[in-house]
Amino acid sequence: MSNYFYVAPEQLIKDRAEFAQKGIARGRSIVAAIYDVGVVMVAENPSASLNKISEIYDRIAFAGVGKYNEFDRLREAGIRWADGTGFTYSRGDVDARALANYYAQHVGDMFTEGPKPLEIEILVAQLGNKIRPTKLYRIAYEGTISDEPRFAVLGGDAETIKGRFAASEDELEPLATTLKNAVAALAGPDRVIPPSELEVGLLEDRGSRRTFTRLSDEEVSELLR
Amino acid sequence: MGLPLYSAHDDPGPSFFRYADAAGLTTSHDPEVVTSPHATTVIAVRYVGGVVMVGDRQATGSYIASRDVRKIEAADRFTAIAISGTAARGIEFIRMAQLSFEHYEKMTDAVLSLEGKANYLSPIIQRNNLTSPLVVLPLLAGWDLNHQVGRIFEYDGAGGCYERLDFATIGSGSPFAENTLRLGFRGDLDLEDALDLGALALYEAGDNDPSTGGPDFVRNLFPMMVTINAAGFQELANDDVASRFRVINERRTQSGGIAGGSLR
Repeated sequence: MSNYFYVAPEQLIKDRAEFAQKGIARGRSIVAAIYDVGVVMVAENPSASLNKISEIYDRIAFAGVGKYNEFDRLREAGIRWADGTGFTYSRGDVDARALANYYAQHVGDMFTEGPKPLEIEILVAQLGNKIRPTKLYRIAYEGTISDEPRFAVLGGDAETIKGRFAASEDELEPLATTLKNAVAALAGPDRVIPPSELEVGLLEDRGSRRTFTRLSDEEVSELLR
Repeated sequence: MGLPLYSAHDDPGPSFFRYADAAGLTTSHDPEVVTSPHATTVIAVRYVGGVVMVGDRQATGSYIASRDVRKIEAADRFTAIAISGTAARGIEFIRMAQLSFEHYEKMTDAVLSLEGKANYLSPIIQRNNLTSPLVVLPLLAGWDLNHQVGRIFEYDGAGGCYERLDFATIGSGSPFAENTLRLGFRGDLDLEDALDLGALALYEAGDNDPSTGGPDFVRNLFPMMVTINAAGFQELANDDVASRFRVINERRTQSGGIAGGSLR
């Protein structure tokens, strides 16, 4: 005879969701937004080496909030998946939607079947070209995948930040404007985040195959001026 | 292909080769002998500001399979990789190297050192050459960003990696190219001297080795010439290469095919 008490599935899911939300809320947020010629990702990150934003492939980037070890493992898996797919087929066959779906399946499986849900939220961004559109896919802790039309916010305070950013921009702007709006949305009205505590990554065509770049503190302060 | 997740104890790390191997993406090694076109002569020469590489364009089986093969490719911005031996394996090898260096960079957010790249290739060559008759021998040359110097690494059939401080050659025409380089190499070669010496060495290889394609004036196809230096990997324009080979060919025509005891 087992000694387990019956727990209603509703209760189980609610408990797990609360657990994941609490974990995510402890960290800082990320804003990702499409600007006139690219995608910018802005994270509030006091660490200069433990990155939240990374390159996955030629036109695909990754951003994660929550527990670093959990989303970093997903980042590594994403790079392996993309490089392996490009090696097996061709570079043009590596598609962010496929990767986002794999992430969503894994995160969803961990939420329902794992020993504990992943305390993360991740974003897969794709810079468009002739055959693919520019896309932002947000994957929440329970495996929900959403295709965000213009910008996405990850992290505990997402709703407030989302409201602030949406109020500041209603069409695609140049990089400097979008970056300013994103930083202002992250900071809120009573706070200024110094460039040294911002991590900024871009996907933008600059004539080479790889489109991801990290901006240095100097470049960020120049753009925010 | 699903999401390649690993637990900490069996994680392949930032090595794409180890991951590809674990995931079954690499070719299986069949000991049966297959005839496959061979790629032929590539030369690397150090000069004061970097490395010059010259490679012929011909792939040869029992007949000429292709006249415009690229045997030298940029592995990344500051590294060139060249192949000789079985073309099929060589091309796979170049793809593996290119992808591996980029993979490492993305996984670790750090650039692999030139020595790291050279050593990384050893076990890949070793495994291919010791388990398959389709031997491939590469040549790696690059601009070492940490030491600001051009460096050349060559490999033996078992995957041993050796740094060469002067020049290196691979492929069936290498004895002829090597001899020319031995006579013409100096420690203080400038870029122009190194390009001329490299072109001449390849010309000699093409002249004596049936599987090395020399300059093809009929089809306007010429050997590949590249430089790797502080500015990165750069390929010389076809016209530039053509004029260098035209000069050598003109001299040789005037002397009735005789080198004449001097490096001309």
